[in-house]
Amino acid sequence: MDTETIQFIKESAPHLRRKDSLVRMLLDVVIALMPVTVFAFIAWPLGALKNVLISVAVMEIAELVFVLVTHPMPIDLKKHSLIERIKYGLTSYRLSNFLAALVSALIFALILPASTSWYALMIGAAAGITFGKLLFGGTGNNLFNPAAVGMVFAKVCFGSSMYYTAPFAGVGEVIASPTYLAGGQYSILDLFIGNVPGTIGETCKIAILIGLVYLLVRRAADWKVVLTYLLTFALLTLAGGLTVTLPRGGNIPTYGEWVLSHLLSGGFLFGAVFMVTDPVTMPITTPSRVHYAMSAAIAAFFIRHFAALPEGVGYGILIANCLAPLFDYPKWSSEEWKKKDIIIASLLPALSIAIVIWAVFAGGFDL
Amino acid sequence: MIAKTTTIENTRNLLEILPTIDIGEPEDIFIAMENARCPKAELTIKEGDHVLLYQVIGMRYGPFFNQPIHSTVSGTFVGYEKHLHRSGKMVNFAHIKNDFKDEEDKSVTFERTPEEIAKLTREEIMEIARDRASAGLGGSSFPTYVKFDTKGRKINTILINGIECEPYITADKRMMVEHAENVINGIKLMQQAFGTKDARLCVKKKYKDIIAIYNMFLSEMPDSGITVCPVGNFYPQGWEIAMIKSATGISVPSGHLPSEYGIVNFNVSTVAGLYESVRYNRPIVERYVSVTGDGIKYPGNFSIRNGTPMKYILEKCGGYTHPEKKKVFILGGPMMGASLPSDDCICTKTVTSIIVLNHDEIKEENCIRCGSCVLSCPVHLKPVQIMNAVKAMDKDMIKALEPLKCIECGLCAYSCTSKIQVTDYVRRAKVIAKL
Repeated sequence: MDTETIQFIKESAPHLRRKDSLVRMLLDVVIALMPVTVFAFIAWPLGALKNVLISVAVMEIAELVFVLVTHPMPIDLKKHSLIERIKYGLTSYRLSNFLAALVSALIFALILPASTSWYALMIGAAAGITFGKLLFGGTGNNLFNPAAVGMVFAKVCFGSSMYYTAPFAGVGEVIASPTYLAGGQYSILDLFIGNVPGTIGETCKIAILIGLVYLLVRRAADWKVVLTYLLTFALLTLAGGLTVTLPRGGNIPTYGEWVLSHLLSGGFLFGAVFMVTDPVTMPITTPSRVHYAMSAAIAAFFIRHFAALPEGVGYGILIANCLAPLFDYPKWSSEEWKKKDIIIASLLPALSIAIVIWAVFAGGFDL
Repeated sequence: MIAKTTTIENTRNLLEILPTIDIGEPEDIFIAMENARCPKAELTIKEGDHVLLYQVIGMRYGPFFNQPIHSTVSGTFVGYEKHLHRSGKMVNFAHIKNDFKDEEDKSVTFERTPEEIAKLTREEIMEIARDRASAGLGGSSFPTYVKFDTKGRKINTILINGIECEPYITADKRMMVEHAENVINGIKLMQQAFGTKDARLCVKKKYKDIIAIYNMFLSEMPDSGITVCPVGNFYPQGWEIAMIKSATGISVPSGHLPSEYGIVNFNVSTVAGLYESVRYNRPIVERYVSVTGDGIKYPGNFSIRNGTPMKYILEKCGGYTHPEKKKVFILGGPMMGASLPSDDCICTKTVTSIIVLNHDEIKEENCIRCGSCVLSCPVHLKPVQIMNAVKAMDKDMIKALEPLKCIECGLCAYSCTSKIQVTDYVRRAKVIAKL
């Protein structure tokens, strides 16, 4: 046998890799977003089409331009036409680039109401992906959730032109209606199935929960983060409810319903499933992830109840994103639960509850 | 995917347990002069000399021990040749032309009766292990006799590592099935040497056949003190600290010796080999090797004479599949084995397996901080942060992240969602941390 023709490659161990890829993980998130997107298209056909199309187009173009700019042709003292240069840059463009931008774009489209104007969408999407992701170096390097940055940018700049409309309204009869958090009264069932005004993706909780189940089955989201986020928020809401008896007139008789309607209202569940779970913007070790999810929930709770804004999930996630590097500082964080991790994890909600009680009693706040 | 890796999937269709075949003897045998632990060696024979099987033909000189070199065939010593060693270095090999007579060096070998063996003390066993160059056959090639010197510490438990935790290597398993008596006699020898009754043979839970065979043997020896200890199926269960934890519940902190906790551990092949050395007063000249991988035509388990060239073995296995494809040639397991730049190397006694894979180009993506490497790391390091510190050349941070604890099991790179060679970065960090 002639073994001389065989070429050998030296590679370092391990020589086996898990059946897994970045594309698979991003595709899982896209698939998990599908039920929500389908609901949005049924409930607000025109609005959803406009939101999704504009944000996907803007974010994909931005990502493509980013790839071209960051992979320039090496200087070889020859003249190359622009087409050649673009062709060279395109060799670095991968499926994961497309999918990463698609995930950000879909989330951004779904956390804005159907009434968002096309220019607000364009500017928000461009700002979100640029300031939220590309300036940090693209996929994997971003500090902030690009969709949340885009949403905040759009709301800060064009918030006065946005209003919430009820789903399933025919074309032409658009009437602004208040959300639950803005004082509207809705039953828990309506909040659950999505028969309430809100942004196009956040209202239908059934669709979101289907996405959550899919993400957890495919292990594309860290269940500890989702669970901690939900539990911390529920605990704080319950504490608030216990402090202020009869928080909303006579209409909400039990604490269970009060907590449940807060969990189901606004963008909380959508954020819990699709935004806090973004692995890029959260810490790496398990204790730090728990602390991160807690701080995101606490920030969302305080903004929701004590700030001038009706909703705080997006802002809360951005605040937690800021804290993530702190929790993740290599010299402090560890995969094993140490005493100080448990202290932080118990102090965070305890202190928050104390602040709620103090704010309600001494400050006269009404939840 | 954000998930902890516990078992290694068979993504490359590597062989599972197969019976052992004697591969035969090659015409040329090459005996390594230096090895990873002994950088200097000297032969006592001259070119053209006739050598006998088991004859001592030279000495290797290590930093804290010397090791005799034995001939593994009888024949004529023709000279030196350079070949690749398992460690990836070009090393001098003594070339012996086989005369296929297997004439034994009678001045060395003699048989000890079981009664004589029962009288041996620890020092005597230690001496045999040293003179017959017994070494850790799990791949470490750590000289066995050093382990007998416990510096006065009392040994309570002997653990025999039959886990073979690298996936899809089955040579030790076959050895345990085919030579159960040698294994048990070897364990008895260890009990005798360390003066303790408690000896546990650690085997993966899923190998029910091996557990059944040994339970059958041991049921006839109710007072032997030997027990079969089924341990977890996860990777890296064969890592000595993981094995000690599973078998005894004791966690040995990194940087400490198991003997400080009254434990001594041996690889199952080492134990069986040492028994043969003691019984017939001869060195190990043969070992079981798994040959596998999708680049090999007929994979299998083979009994191979030490010093056999790889090309001979590969020829016997029908050669390579897809000769047009690039190959990765690995000595050792698929998770930790070293890949060599050519197949021009020699099967020494510490080679546990030969794996030939068709090369797959792996495209690395950006790290998305999924944390799978952190979840999977058996020593609770943070491979991704070590990688970032290496990229930033932040020496203080590298030291703070303690990369020297790493056992190079390869799980971080195996479980990486973005297919990054994380283990390589940790290896680099280890080098930097030592500076």
